[in-house]
Amino acid sequence: MRRGSVSFNFSWEPDWSVLLVVTYSRAARTTLRNACRTHEETVVRRFGRAALLAETEFGAFLALRLREKHGEDVQVERTEPFNEFRDVDESVRRAAAAYEDRDAPSTPYAKFAAGRDHPLPERLRSREL
Amino acid sequence: MRLRVAGRTFRGPAVDLRPTPFSPAPGDVLDAVEHAGAGADVDPVTRANNGTGVGVGIAVDCPPASRFHRRLALVSSSPPRSLRALLAAAARSLGWESDHRHRIDRLRADLEALDRPATDTSAARRRVAERDSDVARLRERVAELRGRLQARRETGAPTADTEASLADAVRELSAVETERVAAEQSLDRAERRARRGRDRGEERLRLEDALATARREARAELSRRVYDRFAAAVEQLPSPQSADSVPRPGRAPGDYDGDPASARLAAVAVASLSAPVVLAPTVDRFESAERAADALGAPVVRL
Repeated sequence: MRRGSVSFNFSWEPDWSVLLVVTYSRAARTTLRNACRTHEETVVRRFGRAALLAETEFGAFLALRLREKHGEDVQVERTEPFNEFRDVDESVRRAAAAYEDRDAPSTPYAKFAAGRDHPLPERLRSREL
Repeated sequence: MRLRVAGRTFRGPAVDLRPTPFSPAPGDVLDAVEHAGAGADVDPVTRANNGTGVGVGIAVDCPPASRFHRRLALVSSSPPRSLRALLAAAARSLGWESDHRHRIDRLRADLEALDRPATDTSAARRRVAERDSDVARLRERVAELRGRLQARRETGAPTADTEASLADAVRELSAVETERVAAEQSLDRAERRARRGRDRGEERLRLEDALATARREARAELSRRVYDRFAAAVEQLPSPQSADSVPRPGRAPGDYDGDPASARLAAVAVASLSAPVVLAPTVDRFESAERAADALGAPVVRL
């Protein structure tokens, strides 16, 4: 919940990377919650035991403080903006669109793909972006 | 009870320190009660007395304090963190158990049994970062030396030394690149271990949350069950001085409308405590410490 007087951080919309912080203990979760409350301007999004922080030194500072305090009960990952047109092969995009547009809702993807020259699940799982 | 302070000994179920020159901090008296040993002569607790710097040793000889004692025994005007917790402690002191008891015990056992593999990924990350910067540094050096070699060849300058330096640098770079691959693989393995550790962490979190919920539900249940007794005690015990601050307990824990000291006194009256409770100086309801002990059903130290 946000107070009316606090502005949402419009500079951290989809084009910007964020730090993902996930907590794995009650204590770490509480510390994260308190940090997010205190430093709202650095918090892009909060999900209870996880948060997206701005990828600035201050965001890193907060994440590192959490690690100092709670060790491996805190996971920190860096994310990149996901542009499916730049980052994903066209065959995958076409497969997703076609599958969501299928006539028979109960058809599993493997069967759907085999009949229509879309990449099979095993192939999709084995290839990194 | 025997209470010894600054060489003087007080005896009986009710000790009144108000007429004396001694004003120890309530917390110190509570500590002394909990540390009650074989006799009042054993290891008095020495602490500064309310900032005056004068040490006032207190020792108490009394029946052992139960595990519910701490939460209930300090009767002051400060609001309890949770009235339900206070009431639940009183109920438990009577031997009552909540319906959630078995679930709580099981959750605690599960948590105990959960092992937390110690992982440390930061050392592996540091090594990768160090090898990264070594590789970058050496690549730059190789590029620089190649440039120098090229320039020397073009100007016909001697190149033997530069060739030798370049060969060394290339060898070093190759070695460091190999080390980096090893460091990355090491990090990979550490990350996999860490992931298993996090899975365990999630399980732990789930259990901890379930335990906290079960404890909260137990407190709610016990405080509900004991509330009638509590409400009766609130009404029977002496109220605060002014008539318009008479506490109204209502029918359930959420209904309590009154001052904190009345709630604390009533909780003590309901509870079964054999170790002394401490009445802080601001609690001024009883004509004497004896009357207080009588009304509360517990030994009393009045400050």
